[in-house]
Amino acid sequence: MSQDSAAEKNVPVIELRHVDKHYGDLHVLRDVSLTVARGEVLVVIGPSGSGKSTLCRTINRLETIDSGEILIEGEPLPQEGRELARMRAELGMVFQQFNLFAHMTILDNVTLGPREVLGQGKEEAEKHAMELLERVGVGEQAHKVPAQLSGGQQQRAAIARSLAMRPKAMMFDEPTSALDPEMINEVLDVMVELARGGMTMVVVTHEMSFARRVADRVVFMADGQIVEEGSPDEFFDHPTTQRARDFLDSIRGH
Amino acid sequence: MGLAELLGTYGQNYLDGLLATWSMTAVSFVFVMALAVLVTVARVSPVAPLRGLGELYVQVFRNIPGVALLILIAYALPQLRVVLDWRTCVIVTVVLLGSAFGSENFMSGINTIGVGQIEAARSVGLTFMQILRHIVIPQALRTTVLPMTNLLIAVMLTTALGSQVPLSPQELTGVVSYVNTRATGGILAFLISALGYVLTAFAISFVGNRIDKRVRILR
Amino acid sequence: MSTRTKTAPSVRAALYEAPGPRARRRIAIGTAVSAVLLALLAALVVRQFYVTGQLAPRYWSFLLEWPTWRFLLQGFVGTVEVALTAGAIALVLGLALMLGRTSGIAPLAALCRVVTDFFRGVPSLLLIYFFFLVVPQYGIQMPSFWMLTLPVALAASGVLAEVFRAGVNAVSKGQVEAALSIGLSPAKTMRRIVLPQAVRYVIPSLIAQLVVVVKDTTVAYVVSYPDLMQNARVLITNYDALLSMYLVVAVIYVLINFAINKASVYVARRTGVKIIR
Repeated sequence: MSQDSAAEKNVPVIELRHVDKHYGDLHVLRDVSLTVARGEVLVVIGPSGSGKSTLCRTINRLETIDSGEILIEGEPLPQEGRELARMRAELGMVFQQFNLFAHMTILDNVTLGPREVLGQGKEEAEKHAMELLERVGVGEQAHKVPAQLSGGQQQRAAIARSLAMRPKAMMFDEPTSALDPEMINEVLDVMVELARGGMTMVVVTHEMSFARRVADRVVFMADGQIVEEGSPDEFFDHPTTQRARDFLDSIRGH
Repeated sequence: MGLAELLGTYGQNYLDGLLATWSMTAVSFVFVMALAVLVTVARVSPVAPLRGLGELYVQVFRNIPGVALLILIAYALPQLRVVLDWRTCVIVTVVLLGSAFGSENFMSGINTIGVGQIEAARSVGLTFMQILRHIVIPQALRTTVLPMTNLLIAVMLTTALGSQVPLSPQELTGVVSYVNTRATGGILAFLISALGYVLTAFAISFVGNRIDKRVRILR
Repeated sequence: MSTRTKTAPSVRAALYEAPGPRARRRIAIGTAVSAVLLALLAALVVRQFYVTGQLAPRYWSFLLEWPTWRFLLQGFVGTVEVALTAGAIALVLGLALMLGRTSGIAPLAALCRVVTDFFRGVPSLLLIYFFFLVVPQYGIQMPSFWMLTLPVALAASGVLAEVFRAGVNAVSKGQVEAALSIGLSPAKTMRRIVLPQAVRYVIPSLIAQLVVVVKDTTVAYVVSYPDLMQNARVLITNYDALLSMYLVVAVIYVLINFAINKASVYVARRTGVKIIR
């Protein structure tokens, strides 16, 4: 056991090798290689249409790739069937549009995966779900349906839904982009807490303050390519490429 | 002819007619739903010929006039040595027509779910069958309560096609033509049948609305 | 039946994710097997036509002759006349019923509601029997054209009233408030602001409803009005070719209604409007 985890330490949780993807004529991912180590918080930024969302979605095969390899803890990402479903269960995914199941209560949203995929009993699943919902601050809303919650509450519930699977890593695909400004921080706070707790995270976001505060590493993408990567301080204070400088200028409102 | 005389002479015909309409409607609707599910499964399947068949089915039976279909089944099929009794002819016609519309309802029900929830379910690790069972089917059923209520009423109205073949006992529309070719039943003879339909439709939509309020999904 | 919905192509994409190698193989096998089964089914049908002698030239040759089609065309013109007249009447009546129902005058609104629900709640065939069997009992003689057109129009008017009402509801409240606030009377607000927009919303739905009208006209034979179906029946007795003639007529109706539906979808897309059932 201790040997295993020691060995695992050196294997990246997520690894992309020379990944390419096209949408028709559009080359959305160009030879993307990337590793995410255990406990690492990787923030992906870049202009819209740069392929950063697509990158995030390829990791649990919501998008297929044309060539290259994706490895999860050193194992190739399965292409289909139960193997793929099992792998997905170990990777959390948080969407821009929350995507809570509209016909279920918040509690049922969170317990569905543990009960159906992990085979937990109702009581066990609900106990864990309530803990998580309390932790993200929506415990009071557990018996409401998604449409009765604010966007920020829905997104926090969606995070709890992912956490309930006890994932090895979590992907966040622009988790605050659909939120009203006053709700952004309540979601970011939950994410900061997760990061501090040692969760391995890939976060696609426009929230630069979050990136600076929490990221171990920042990846800057443009036109489907990783243009630059480095620590937040390096990247934000001394970007090496002109594209990154232009991008940072544009979002700082220069 | 007054109401009392009309009901005295033909009351049993009207009652039998109402029951015939109800029973054909009920039997048809069960098959309509079953076939609508099958057709919808074919239409969303990844197997191209099944998809094509499903689309063709819906286009044909959505667009063919009921009378034309009934005539084909009741009078043309026997020439191919396929002979069904009259009641079955009517039910088959109604089921073919109704299931095309039922499938359209299911398709739009599935459409309202949206890609996002299905992707979320996938991300949690649910398999295709689990996604169908826990996400797609419950939502498709709950969002189609009102359209299916309307379809049930439409199915009932379509059973009036039964007046075009010698049914025994006749359904409500056939009774009107039966009574009026034997007596001057006047507007009353017509209104009795009309009321049978209208009140049934009213009851159906009352129940449908109640169910819809209960299960409607907030969005 | 008049349920009508638009289907987006995204359903399939959402339900089935991009297949892996195993799924691709399974789909290929499924495609092959189902194609063979469908071909087999088609062959069985053709065989049944053959063994019952229905493929004999005498059942089909009359379809190659011009007089056949001229006669069918005459019937088609009859169908179009009834459908368009009934459609026009239903349009006016449906609009009137909707205006009455939304007038705010309680007794009128109630009456219009009852009338609307009545016409929506009875089969068009029953209305046809009313005009064919009941109306003459009161000494009113009507040409067969009207015995067919009026019931079809009445049945459609109930549905159209609801379509118009949905269109009016689709006009935003802000429009009404803005109109009232610049001093327009409620009636003028309806006529100048709400209706023009509502009509734009419902045009595709109105086109789609024409399908229902065309279907309803096919019982013209009940009143012996020479429409497409009735003329086909005449040809059947002339040529003793029941199966072939009815099949051809059914296909013609399907194509007509398919075209109308396509037109309605086309207009809906062009104007970015949803089709209301």
